[in-house]
Amino acid sequence: MNEITYTTQKMAGSYAEGWHIWGWEVPIYLFLGGITAGIIIIAALMMLKKRGKDFPVSTNRVILWAPVFLSLGMGALFLDLTNKLNVLSFYMTFEMTSVMSWGSWILLIIYPVSILMILSTFREGYSELYVKISKKLETIMDGKVLKLLEYMISFSEKNRDVIAKTAIPSGIALGIYTGILLSAFNARPLWNSAILGPLFLVSGISTGAAFIILLSEKDERHFISGIDVKLIMTELFILVLYFIGQITGGASKSEAINIFLGGDLFTPVFWIFFVFAGLILPLFLDWQESRGIEIHPKLQPLLVLFGGVMLRIILVKAAFILRDTSIHKMLY
Amino acid sequence: MTKKNYTSPYLAGVVLGLVLLASYVIAGRGLGASGAMMKAVVVVEKAVSQEHVDSNSYLAQYGGGDTNPLNDWLVFEILGVVAGAVISGLIGGRMKKETNRGPRITDRQRWIFAVIGGALFGFGARLARGCTSGVALSGGATLALGSWVTMIAIFAGAYGLAYFTRKLWI
Amino acid sequence: MFAPLAVLNEWSDGINYLFAFVIGIGFGAALETAGFGNSKKLAWQFYFRDLTVFKVMFTAIITAMTGMIFFDAFGWIDMSNVSINPTYLWPGIAGGLIMGVGFVIGGYCPGTSFAGLATLKIDALFYIIGALLGMFIFGEVAPLIEPFYSGRYSGYMGNITIYKFFGISAGVIGFFVMLVALVGFYGAEWAEKKTGNNIIN
Repeated sequence: MNEITYTTQKMAGSYAEGWHIWGWEVPIYLFLGGITAGIIIIAALMMLKKRGKDFPVSTNRVILWAPVFLSLGMGALFLDLTNKLNVLSFYMTFEMTSVMSWGSWILLIIYPVSILMILSTFREGYSELYVKISKKLETIMDGKVLKLLEYMISFSEKNRDVIAKTAIPSGIALGIYTGILLSAFNARPLWNSAILGPLFLVSGISTGAAFIILLSEKDERHFISGIDVKLIMTELFILVLYFIGQITGGASKSEAINIFLGGDLFTPVFWIFFVFAGLILPLFLDWQESRGIEIHPKLQPLLVLFGGVMLRIILVKAAFILRDTSIHKMLY
Repeated sequence: MTKKNYTSPYLAGVVLGLVLLASYVIAGRGLGASGAMMKAVVVVEKAVSQEHVDSNSYLAQYGGGDTNPLNDWLVFEILGVVAGAVISGLIGGRMKKETNRGPRITDRQRWIFAVIGGALFGFGARLARGCTSGVALSGGATLALGSWVTMIAIFAGAYGLAYFTRKLWI
Repeated sequence: MFAPLAVLNEWSDGINYLFAFVIGIGFGAALETAGFGNSKKLAWQFYFRDLTVFKVMFTAIITAMTGMIFFDAFGWIDMSNVSINPTYLWPGIAGGLIMGVGFVIGGYCPGTSFAGLATLKIDALFYIIGALLGMFIFGEVAPLIEPFYSGRYSGYMGNITIYKFFGISAGVIGFFVMLVALVGFYGAEWAEKKTGNNIIN
């Protein structure tokens, strides 16, 4: 009897540990990875279409944030020092076939691509800042640094189309990867769905668009809003596919998805904070705006970003709750 | 987009009544508001000192031990209230940052009295086991004796003091 | 008999909460569209200028009450699984009086303050801060006033209804409530005219 109690406690301790590994850090990393992918994809498309004049933020300016968000996301992962090894193994196991290692390959491409994208648009997007920087650089090493920068910038500007064409598949790969990362854990039936890749990709692009809406004004805001509405609708559609796939995907999957359909706290949290607040309400606000009702322009994008965070936190945490309860069932 | 007028009180009343009826038919309980606020208070107290919550029999029923105060029907209902009011306010074009008050006081004075009035109401609502929503409206519809007594007391208190607070409102 | 749905079908907490959210949306929308996000409109009832609160509240009570009586009569709802507020006479009266005082000073009640907050009324935000404060104070002193709150001096009478108390049928009381309300509506319209039709739109 004592022994059983002891084992239970010991296992309870290990869930607590497991909970800790996957606290807020991984969901935030997945969110920031997604938003980076979204920014890169949208910016690359706008660069290809040469919309810098009408839509300066999405074409020339927002891309500066891509490496920032990605680095913050990586930072979130490394922040959890106690489990650093665990996290590092995502990136250190260079096995071509392992999903984990794909991340490191993708990141190897994303950083240089996003830097090249910044270089190719910086002069147009941040002309004043560029003048300031070049004045400062003039005095350093007889202007050699400036010359190097100018060379790199004009090289990137010349090859803008090639850069953009490379960026689109890299961004898509990053977006899909943030979802596949979860579905690689076969032991967690909630995540065991190939649809998570597209779901996280579309959600990532949608949050990227929302971030652009936050920064932009008038025509550009309306243009990107229109895109975001279509993305949100796509996301809802993919979500339906995810649910169908889980329900019809065998006993363990359908039992797992029940946490969102007939469970306890996670059911309302999923539907209210992600589906309602993050998807339905932004669509509703867009509709109201099209009816001519004045709505604070930051409200809709902030809700989309909130929903993006919630999706990842809920999906990650729910899988751990499920593991706890299923082990409890085994024990009692 | 100009502001739309409020709905006719009788129509709004019927809608509110049907929502209340739906609440009883679906969940077997009435609407509420102050209960959810109490849960929020206990959440904060729990975060500060679990021991304190456990040692107070009243607080313990909301958040003693492992009890999560937010794991509650009313909490989700109140989230819905805010969402519903946002939606209705947007449709009616009534989303406006403002302070409603009588003409003889300043915004700042209004805020001070709002805090005082809120504190009194909050205290009274806990003492009477519910507020205008949970007791007067919901209890009123089930014809609970105590609810009608409390409802009458609320109006008695308010109308009784109204003359002395007229500067706040008219 | 099918109601209460959540109880008879043994819904999980999550499903129950999800419906709580949907019911809340209806509640919030009804409050807001009636004008209860505006504290001035609420307070003006106490000066007989705008009696919307009275009208809405009693229409709602009558609608829900009539519905419940019919559901019960048709055997659709299991009243033993419907929560009836318990009667604690003295704290109910004292709490009611304090709430009334708070209402006319603060301009909101908790439910309407959320409708006010949702439509960006600054005074609603301050009211909510105050209400949380008041509840915090109550929570701290509750054990001290336990005899009055739930003990010997609380006047506890169980989950009693008016009709059980008087030993007559719910229908009769319901009819009586409707009559009183109709007279009240008539009086409210008259009072509003008398004070100069100051209804806040």
